[in-house]
Amino acid sequence: MKSITIEGIVNNERISTQNLLQSIQARIEEGYTDFEIHACGQHDIGGSSWAKDSSETLTFNITNPGQRVGAMARRGTKIVVHGSTPADVGWLNSGAEIIVKGDCGDTAAHCAASGNIYVSGRVGTRSGALMKFDPKFAPPEFWVLKNTGSFSFEFMGGGVAVICGFDCNDVDSVLGNRSCVGMVGGTIYCRGPIKGIASCVEITSLNQSDIEFLTNGMERFLTAIDQKGLKDTLLDFSEWNKIIPLSPDQKTKKIPVSEFHKNDWVEGGIFGDFIEDDYKVYELAATGDGRLQEPKWDSDKCVNCNLCITNCPQNAIAEDYSVNSDKCIGCSFCATVCPKQAWTMQNNNKEIS
Amino acid sequence: MCRIGAIKSKKYIHPSMALKLMRSQQEGHDDSGFAFVMQDLGGIFESYKDLPCLSMAATVEGTRLAEDILHDIGFTRVLQWSPDVNNQKGLKISPMPNYIFEVLQYPKSHKYATKEEKEELLIDTSLKLRKALEENNTGYIYSFWPDILTLKEIGSPKDIGTYFNLWTDKESPCAKIITAQCRQNTNYDIVRYAAHPFVLEGYTVLVNGENTFYEKNKLYQQGLYKGYVGFESDSQCFLYTLHYINKILKWPLRYFMHVINPLSYDSINTRDDREILLRIKASLEHLEANGPNTVLGVTPEKQLICVCDSKKLRPVVVGRDANTVIMTSEVAGVNDILPNRDIRQDIYPKEREMVVINNDLSVERWQQ
Amino acid sequence: MAAVKVNELHLDDLPWIVEYDETKCIQCGKCVAACSFQAIKPAIEQRKKSGSVTEKNKLEKVIVIKQNISFEHHCRGCGMCTMVCPNGALKVKRNMESQYSVRYRAEKGESIKKGGRSNLNTEGRTLDKIKVGRISQMTDPSLDAVRHTFELKTPFGRVLSADKLNFKTEGDKIIEDTPLPPNNWIYPIIMGDMSIGAVSWRMWEAMAIATGYLNEVMGIPVRMCTGEGGIPSRLLKSKYVKYMILQIASGHFGWNRIIDAMPDMIEDPAGILIKIGQGAKPGDGGMLMANKVAKYVQEIRGVPKADLLSPPTHQGLYSIEESVQKMFLSMNAAFNFRVPVAIKVASSATSVSVYNNLLRDPYNIVGGFFLDGLAAGTGAAHEISLNHTGHPITSKLRDCYLAAVHQGRQGEIPIFAGGGLGQTGSFAADAFKLICLGANGVFSGRLLLEIAGCVGNDTEKCNACNTGLCPAGIASQDVCLTKRLDIDKVAQNLVNYFVATDFELRKLMAATGCSSLPIGRSDALITVDKNVADRLEIQYVC
Repeated sequence: MKSITIEGIVNNERISTQNLLQSIQARIEEGYTDFEIHACGQHDIGGSSWAKDSSETLTFNITNPGQRVGAMARRGTKIVVHGSTPADVGWLNSGAEIIVKGDCGDTAAHCAASGNIYVSGRVGTRSGALMKFDPKFAPPEFWVLKNTGSFSFEFMGGGVAVICGFDCNDVDSVLGNRSCVGMVGGTIYCRGPIKGIASCVEITSLNQSDIEFLTNGMERFLTAIDQKGLKDTLLDFSEWNKIIPLSPDQKTKKIPVSEFHKNDWVEGGIFGDFIEDDYKVYELAATGDGRLQEPKWDSDKCVNCNLCITNCPQNAIAEDYSVNSDKCIGCSFCATVCPKQAWTMQNNNKEIS
Repeated sequence: MCRIGAIKSKKYIHPSMALKLMRSQQEGHDDSGFAFVMQDLGGIFESYKDLPCLSMAATVEGTRLAEDILHDIGFTRVLQWSPDVNNQKGLKISPMPNYIFEVLQYPKSHKYATKEEKEELLIDTSLKLRKALEENNTGYIYSFWPDILTLKEIGSPKDIGTYFNLWTDKESPCAKIITAQCRQNTNYDIVRYAAHPFVLEGYTVLVNGENTFYEKNKLYQQGLYKGYVGFESDSQCFLYTLHYINKILKWPLRYFMHVINPLSYDSINTRDDREILLRIKASLEHLEANGPNTVLGVTPEKQLICVCDSKKLRPVVVGRDANTVIMTSEVAGVNDILPNRDIRQDIYPKEREMVVINNDLSVERWQQ
Repeated sequence: MAAVKVNELHLDDLPWIVEYDETKCIQCGKCVAACSFQAIKPAIEQRKKSGSVTEKNKLEKVIVIKQNISFEHHCRGCGMCTMVCPNGALKVKRNMESQYSVRYRAEKGESIKKGGRSNLNTEGRTLDKIKVGRISQMTDPSLDAVRHTFELKTPFGRVLSADKLNFKTEGDKIIEDTPLPPNNWIYPIIMGDMSIGAVSWRMWEAMAIATGYLNEVMGIPVRMCTGEGGIPSRLLKSKYVKYMILQIASGHFGWNRIIDAMPDMIEDPAGILIKIGQGAKPGDGGMLMANKVAKYVQEIRGVPKADLLSPPTHQGLYSIEESVQKMFLSMNAAFNFRVPVAIKVASSATSVSVYNNLLRDPYNIVGGFFLDGLAAGTGAAHEISLNHTGHPITSKLRDCYLAAVHQGRQGEIPIFAGGGLGQTGSFAADAFKLICLGANGVFSGRLLLEIAGCVGNDTEKCNACNTGLCPAGIASQDVCLTKRLDIDKVAQNLVNYFVATDFELRKLMAATGCSSLPIGRSDALITVDKNVADRLEIQYVC
């Protein structure tokens, strides 16, 4: 294993991110695999540095990096940050182990798809957003000793996050506010108070396999961040919650307006003291009371030619010329065909009473 | 995205600390300029805290023009500091011919004037100078107010530091508060006035963010106060709103966050102070900022403030030790200045939070 | 067969021709039964028999469907016959040769009355020439309509400038506020004002139910303006009155019942709207034809069965200042200054003067300015008003807003704009654009009719609301017709449309990076029409 130290400031001048990353890649080509980087805020350190062959392990020990430590890092990469680091730690992590001995800025583990991220402090706003799980690889794990900022785990699609809520006595929600909005997959374990979680998830208690996962994982995590002594404190499972997304059919549906009308609206309707409305709905060309016109028969004029009976499209006229109002639609065919005007049509436009 | 920084210290500090603070936070475009504001001045300025200090950059003609105007009004020079420039070859900087930092005595007519009358004279004089310099394009006035010194320049921050000898503390002025930014507004024409921090009557503001409601802010602010001019950057609106809330309306500082990032009606409606907050929301609807932003600022009382938007879309961290507090975009900058601090004391302000650093460096955190 | 005379009304004079395909007709009679206008009728025609027939027996009688040719019973193009025909035997076609409006005036000696919409909008809508063009692309991040939270409420009521709030402070808090004009925070889209009488009781109650549901179940604080046709006391005494903006127009119909109900009201209404004018027919008062003045309408309005023609102005008002004194003061006093009182005027060349004057009202009792443009709808109007009077909403709203900006008083009297909104389908787009131009909110009535199933359009289709024969049961008081309307279906459709609109409004806000209503954000708008750009002071693009 060949080791090398790279400085972020040379001759009192800060090396640009581009130059720093290019010099790392050049050293990898030369066979170096173990890097100590004394950074001055340079970005993307430890990520996007590809080993010469996929079996090789690259190790980075970094101080004072800038954004996106370990972003787009591959399997076989191990990154340790000594101290706090800005935003986007482990963005698109694709298999690296990233240990931050300090705090992370916003959007840590954003889009992480595999590998493990261990943080000994807190992580910022929108951390864990869009984490995902590709079944060809191990699911991503995201372990945080303290808490997250708000809007954490938005649109989470897979993987596991463990937020240990350590040293969070003055925090009202270890996941911040409005966590889990749009979450569709994955699991979050968290310890301590939670508030303002999105309605698309459910909060449940742990089952046996959850407990096994946490017990085994906690050992790994605390070892990575040099905090083995906290094991007993953190493994009191009565303090833990588990958050998983609701399935689509679990999400609440709104009641139909007709139910609201029936149960919650002004009793008897707002016009109830003027109008008796049965709320019946008439079709076009309705029968009975719904007819716009009604036929009236005058026996004095009738010559019993029966043209009305034979031409009635609804067969609504009986032999005695009585009209079956359940059949009649008021089409006025009877009045039209009657040679003697024995049928007249009367407007049925009644007012409501 | 801009990187911004503010340092407040119990001891006098030099601009080199601001340069170092911003160095590790450099992003792609953060090489386009450097601007800083020093407040609570020390060194040669220490004994003139009550007298107005003029900061400007001008051509020879502009300098003469400004001197004539000041002379006509009756100001007399008490102290002048000119940076010893290092005009070595290859520096990325577009310097102006003259940089003027001078302390002036008020005109005799204002010997017994009230504080308000003196302030009125200063803002009127500033606007007059600005107008005159703008008319024939001969210079820029950055601030004219007691105990404030401002420099804005175009170029590489490192080279601007070298040009003005700011990397060595010996020759540079010192102050207890320095706010700085390392870029120009690269979206539009490069204009010196468009660089943060912005200063007005003892208020300083610098912003990492966008003001989506710039247009309506501007339309409203233009008629509110004569000092609300320029609008070269959408971030100036934040300064004017802070000034309007605190100085003109005389409202306590915390209402600044309620104006630029008003809570929703539904959240306000559950609170005891709902009547007041709803009135503010309605009356100052046109001063809402509505965009991703983190605002850092300094008040005339020399408090540092930090306000985050409703969605916390821009980074900021507060790091501190016994003598110094730093508010800046990224923790990398704090790590460079205060490497031995207790990181457990670091504060990561959340959405809708206002952090205030008082003169004894005590911290107040207000959740909106 | 009667002889045909040249100057009688002919089929070719009618605005709509019913095309009838005898070969498809099965003589079921449904078309005739469905037509509320009696525009078609069965008729007997003689036909030559086919094949070898004797001289005596050469003709046969068949039943066909024919169009009535009369001023009273002519086709309005509503298309119910087409809808009900099982075989598609009937189609209504617009008659481009129609001389109807000339014939009608010549025959009757009176002006033509219509309901519905203005039909001479040949210029196209300004709002459709405007696009939302400042989409957040890197300079400012766009938001997510689903994920982010948005503030979609706006104050309704007089807003004072900050320096007039007279706040007192104690330590670092503001602790006291002196009494200030009432503000209600409402959704920026208001269900427009249609009166009981103009619309059927089912339509009106469906709107009220939808309003209740949107507020109580969906959490969308939509307010409904009642129109001026009285308000049922059951509603006044229910909790739902808090979602209602009560209207008073020049007829003052039904206000005695409102006054009578005062002691029993458990909630204040959302506001009062003093209607001075209406965009569809500026200069005209309300008009309700006698055939729609049903018994309950008579009762609730306190009138007999007669044509109800409200005066074009409020009697006894001679100036803006006086109307502020009389109407605003009295309406404010009626609810002990707890309820915002707004005014609705038809968009007009003089609107800015009215707005300026109200802004300078020293009592701060003007709580909103509703500006109604010419593409609005109406239950009944003279065609001359509908087609030939009015002023578009867009530039007038802009003028009023910029007049306020000029005085540094934007937002002090919230402006609500209306007039044919949603005409081309999207209420959300119209609302967003008008808000960007300076409106606090918008309103529409005619769109609600379309949501409910109105078949009319802006090119003469149906437009017979005035007749009381509305084939959809919306603008009718006839039992048979009104009962065509399914109250729950209409309420559900209204709710659905508002839910969709709410989402679409968020989509536009998200794309432009606004999490609050973009009131006055004209920088978000562009147009390819140079004249529109210049007039509205928005960006011209090409």
